[in-house]
Amino acid sequence: MPEVCTTSPAARVVALRGASSAALVALALVLGGCATEPAVLSYVPTGDPVVDGNARLALAPPQDKPLWECRVALEALRRGNWDEARAKLDAAILAQGGIMGPSADAARARSLFRRENTKLFVGEPYERVLVYFYRAILYWMDSEPDNARACYLTAQLLDGSAEGESYRSDWVLPDFLDALASARLKMDWADALLRAQQNSRGSTLPPLDPTANVLVFLEFGRGPRKYAGGEYGEMLFFQPGSALARTAVLRVGEQTWRLGAQDDVSFQATTRGGRVMDHILANKAVFKETTDFVGDAALIGAGISAYQPRRHRDDGLTAGLAAVGLLSKIASAATTPDADTRYWDNVPQALGFAALKLPPGEHQGTIEFRAADGHPVAVRPLTITVKPAPADTVVVLSELSP
Amino acid sequence: MTGALVWLAGCASSGVENAGGHPVVEMNADEKGFVQGTGIESQDLVSVSDKMARSILSVPQIAQAARPPVIVLDPVQNKTRFPINKDIFLTRLRTRLNTQAAGKVQFLARDRMEALQREREMKAAGQVTAASDPNVVEFKGADYFLTGALESISTRTSQGQSDYVLYSFQLIDARTSVIVWEDAAEIKKQGLEDAAYR
Repeated sequence: MPEVCTTSPAARVVALRGASSAALVALALVLGGCATEPAVLSYVPTGDPVVDGNARLALAPPQDKPLWECRVALEALRRGNWDEARAKLDAAILAQGGIMGPSADAARARSLFRRENTKLFVGEPYERVLVYFYRAILYWMDSEPDNARACYLTAQLLDGSAEGESYRSDWVLPDFLDALASARLKMDWADALLRAQQNSRGSTLPPLDPTANVLVFLEFGRGPRKYAGGEYGEMLFFQPGSALARTAVLRVGEQTWRLGAQDDVSFQATTRGGRVMDHILANKAVFKETTDFVGDAALIGAGISAYQPRRHRDDGLTAGLAAVGLLSKIASAATTPDADTRYWDNVPQALGFAALKLPPGEHQGTIEFRAADGHPVAVRPLTITVKPAPADTVVVLSELSP
Repeated sequence: MTGALVWLAGCASSGVENAGGHPVVEMNADEKGFVQGTGIESQDLVSVSDKMARSILSVPQIAQAARPPVIVLDPVQNKTRFPINKDIFLTRLRTRLNTQAAGKVQFLARDRMEALQREREMKAAGQVTAASDPNVVEFKGADYFLTGALESISTRTSQGQSDYVLYSFQLIDARTSVIVWEDAAEIKKQGLEDAAYR
């Protein structure tokens, strides 16, 4: 007596896929149980970015600590908390120095089933450059222009791997400040100054004056953001930053200086070109897509095979196809091609510099940040305490300061 | 079934390298550790300062001096791309010379002059006791200046990063400005970051 089927083949396939989905969910739950869940930790926000940043740093997983160190350092720098900024930047630099050669977390980030953001955060080249740029400010403050210069040399080297030749080592201020430090140290400064002039892209460089005793560092706007694109979030993109202020006017006593930006951080973030990691993520995405497709095909095949009349049915083949389909779907679901979108979220959009000459002592003044059309967007009083020679006085003026 | 077991086994953390971390290991300062970069590291400091200490002691002006020459340390100039504590080279060089060739050279504590001057003034004012006449200047002048420079050439390509550092030191006659001794050491290191960071 022929076997009677009570449901249509298409419905049976759907039913089988439903069953496999349920199995998939069950397996995912089992697999999920293997993952180490981070303990739920919390902190009480105080509203002080340095205090809150340190609390977040204490709670952050090890791979995110350098990111929080960078964030806290910058907030501390803007508030004149030099020791805090110094300690955090040194820690971030140490983290950068430890990525040479094989490392377990980097290997995990490359693996199919771990996200890229499981690796230690050292940032994209523009973020690594900024760590050294800000650390150099503190070396100037400590009257160590040679160590400041060392930071600028490293910063330009870190930017040396951009894909396009014209974008390699093309930051303006690291070269300009390298020239200034070299002039101070009675070393050859001409090449560095020439590079800064060649890369200035229309911005105005201040005069190179080795006798200037007040070094003013300016920050405009908020820097670029990272986001993931592509079908599986495997592509890293940058949302350029923005700055309300384009110029600044510094008034100290009877003197007035009109100051502008020399470096565009978003430009640096978006001209780096492709990463080696992008190819790895693209391969992960292909693997995810392929295993998903194979899984679908195998499960459908298993469904069709299962509902063949008994005399034509091969149970071994059905089970094999179902197993292949299930494993393929699990592999696809477990593959994580997501690009690492952690980013240093308090960097400015633009950086400026000016070198002034002021007599030792306390000076009252104002800093006025101006929009492109010239109207002021922020005006703040300031006090500059100029140290006696030969020490440098360093002033950090930021549109992002409180 | 076997496949599922293989998948499940993938969850075990035994495949993670250094899952338990590294215990603290005490090492000699001249040993290469498992944490390495292409920058200036302790083994470089040790090997360079040891070499320089041996070299200085062979200079006739030191080895055959009628009385121990008096030396002042002048800070090393850092021309490399590595921000470092510059004093550490001369500090180690001084301690090597003081411990290995005790009495052959003398160093002046010029970095302590402020405290020394204050002590001398207190003695002159009678605020503290003095073993000799505090109004007579007894601070010594230098016969030689010991100084140096650290210079580097760095390259970074997709093939890796290379850093060459030249450590040069000089002994300069304080009276004539003649360089009576000079020696150098050079170290080159190369490395490549994991692809995940490139």
